[in-house]
Amino acid sequence: MNLFFFLMSILYGLLKFLHINFIPYTWDGYPVGLWIAYLIISAVEVILVFAIAMIVVVILVYVFRKYMADLQNRIGPNRLGPWGTFQLIADVFKLLQKQDIVPANADRLAFKIAPYIVFTPVILGFILIPFGNVSILNLMVTNFQYTVLFLVAVMIVSPLGEIIGGLSSHNKFALYGALRSAAQDIGYEVPMMISIISIVILAGSYSANAIVYAQRNLPFIIPEILGFIVFFLAMIAKQSIPPFDLPESGSELVSGFSTEYSGMRYGIFYMANFGFMALASFVVATLYLGGWEGPFSLIPGLVWLIIKAAVFMIIFLLSWIALGRTRVDQFLNMGWKYLLPLSILNLIISTGLAFYVGGWF
Amino acid sequence: MEDKVIEVNFGPQHPSTHGVLRIKVKLDGEIIMDAYPVIGYLHRNAEKLSEMGAYPKALIYIDRLDYVASLNNELGYVLSAEKLMDAQVPERAQWIRMMLVELNRIASHLVWLGTHGLDMGMLTPYFYCWRERERILRIFDEITGSRLLYNYFAIGGVYSDITPKAIDMIKEFLSDFGSKLEEIQAIFAKNYIYVKRTRDVGKLSLEDALSYGVTGPLLRASGKKWDLRKNQPYLYYDQVNFDIPVRQEGDVYARFQVRIEEMRQSIKIAQQVISKIPEGEFYNKKFSKPMLVRLKGTGDSYVPTESPKGEYGVYLVGDGSTIPYRVRIRSPSFANLSALPIMLKGYKIADLTATVSSLDPVFGEVDR
Repeated sequence: MNLFFFLMSILYGLLKFLHINFIPYTWDGYPVGLWIAYLIISAVEVILVFAIAMIVVVILVYVFRKYMADLQNRIGPNRLGPWGTFQLIADVFKLLQKQDIVPANADRLAFKIAPYIVFTPVILGFILIPFGNVSILNLMVTNFQYTVLFLVAVMIVSPLGEIIGGLSSHNKFALYGALRSAAQDIGYEVPMMISIISIVILAGSYSANAIVYAQRNLPFIIPEILGFIVFFLAMIAKQSIPPFDLPESGSELVSGFSTEYSGMRYGIFYMANFGFMALASFVVATLYLGGWEGPFSLIPGLVWLIIKAAVFMIIFLLSWIALGRTRVDQFLNMGWKYLLPLSILNLIISTGLAFYVGGWF
Repeated sequence: MEDKVIEVNFGPQHPSTHGVLRIKVKLDGEIIMDAYPVIGYLHRNAEKLSEMGAYPKALIYIDRLDYVASLNNELGYVLSAEKLMDAQVPERAQWIRMMLVELNRIASHLVWLGTHGLDMGMLTPYFYCWRERERILRIFDEITGSRLLYNYFAIGGVYSDITPKAIDMIKEFLSDFGSKLEEIQAIFAKNYIYVKRTRDVGKLSLEDALSYGVTGPLLRASGKKWDLRKNQPYLYYDQVNFDIPVRQEGDVYARFQVRIEEMRQSIKIAQQVISKIPEGEFYNKKFSKPMLVRLKGTGDSYVPTESPKGEYGVYLVGDGSTIPYRVRIRSPSFANLSALPIMLKGYKIADLTATVSSLDPVFGEVDR
């Protein structure tokens, strides 16, 4: 039942967000039939995006497990379905069967709600990605003027869920995980936002579609290479995967903020992790590699976007598999002493570029 | 200031305490103010149990002390018992012992290296270390018949002779383990993140190391050139050629370097030993199997040996009967662990796992 309410709340939030109120008349003179069609299309799109997000997560988890196993002289999942592809489904069913344990002294409401706060922004982020276009129709759930701004706002929400989950668990390890999560957030979020602002300056718009169009001739990764490095490292930190998996840090703080979580609540954290990895790859591909635009227009835009995102996903997975963990102070040093100056330098460079050779981009 | 300090229990069930260590840590934010290791969760009364049966029967308890380096444990007991009984051991048996002990040292250090990687958040090197260790375990399986707890060294020799197939396996292993070790070392040493996290962490000065009775790789990483194989040679270590790796820094990275270099030296020793194994008996006929339970010892004896963790030895007291009067085990992990609080004070939580794993504690040995 929890998941049903969760889906309904997402849908309701989206409708509110799209200014769709449940009132029987139209607000700007359109006929009611168009309004209904718009509603249906929106609903279909929302379901589609949720499905895309989930499918990407399932594929990503499978690829992660197989790829990791391959690099570690193991076989990986190989029992359920062809080549073990149904392993994740079995895992989810196992987690669903588990008892929903809430620690005795925990803040019950906050403890229960935290996984959803982490997971919802992932799905909300997916509605903002332009997935390509079919003739004149953009494959994008919401196309409004401030997409990137909203994206940043959405992405900032999920660490709050980690902090809430950690603080409400009544566990010292979870507390430390939450504190680390908070420390880490302020370490990377400022440089991340400044590097997004540089992109907005170059593209001249907050809209993700406009940013994609602005990269027709030259992907932003070339003029914005410093910003790309900053943003990419921030994305790794954002997902809390190695080398920046400080909030979880498996070996030090038993499991960090998610120590007390079990069953499907833990499963939601897990899916949010992979969902965010997919979202981050799509965002980086959109902002820096030209999104769904590709050199050959024969291949549909969606395929281009997926190819570009897959490159980043593999890099994220490699970083996860191959690297160790940094220390909190080392990460904060990096964030404040290197990433922040780099992003400001990048902002100055891109302002200059936009001012002097603006028309070129 | 006092109310800012949080007391956290690391362990006994914690993913990176290498068994059942419990550390009471006082934390001020991320900084460790004080640490207090609590042991005894794996106490099995090995010393007293060893005093309840005939001399060879103690070997099964001795096996289970440091369970990743069983043969090194057995060697300490067997040498001590032989000294107690003035037993003559055939040359072939001594050389076989030497070779297997060095192989077991490599296996033990590989276990350490893999789990150390896990503690530093690196998942992958673990499997590479296990892959190489598996080859050593197969060699032991071929020679002794078991993979972890061997019960192979006997008073007066070894239980079974070494086969030509095992010799081939060992030669094959020694020929290409060196290059594999290079690869595994590169994963750590060429990783900026790992080096950054282990340099100047968990420092132990030479004075502290000596006063706490720290031995083995920890002592050598703190700058003391002390290896019982060189300084008080047992078996035939005076007839083989090898170096003692020493580092001056005394931090986690120095311990890593020392252990890697020790593995190289172990390869070198094993390669020399394998060409020197003479033909002949593999056990002393006076200590044939029916005789073993009737062995009598008088007086006391202690033979210190260099186990992978440090100085290991068994102090035996015999009262002339077939049962040892006293078995006292000097376990290196226990002494090394006692120096843990001074290594942790002032460092961060993340350094705790790095430091604890750099000690390479095995709790079968600490708690006995």
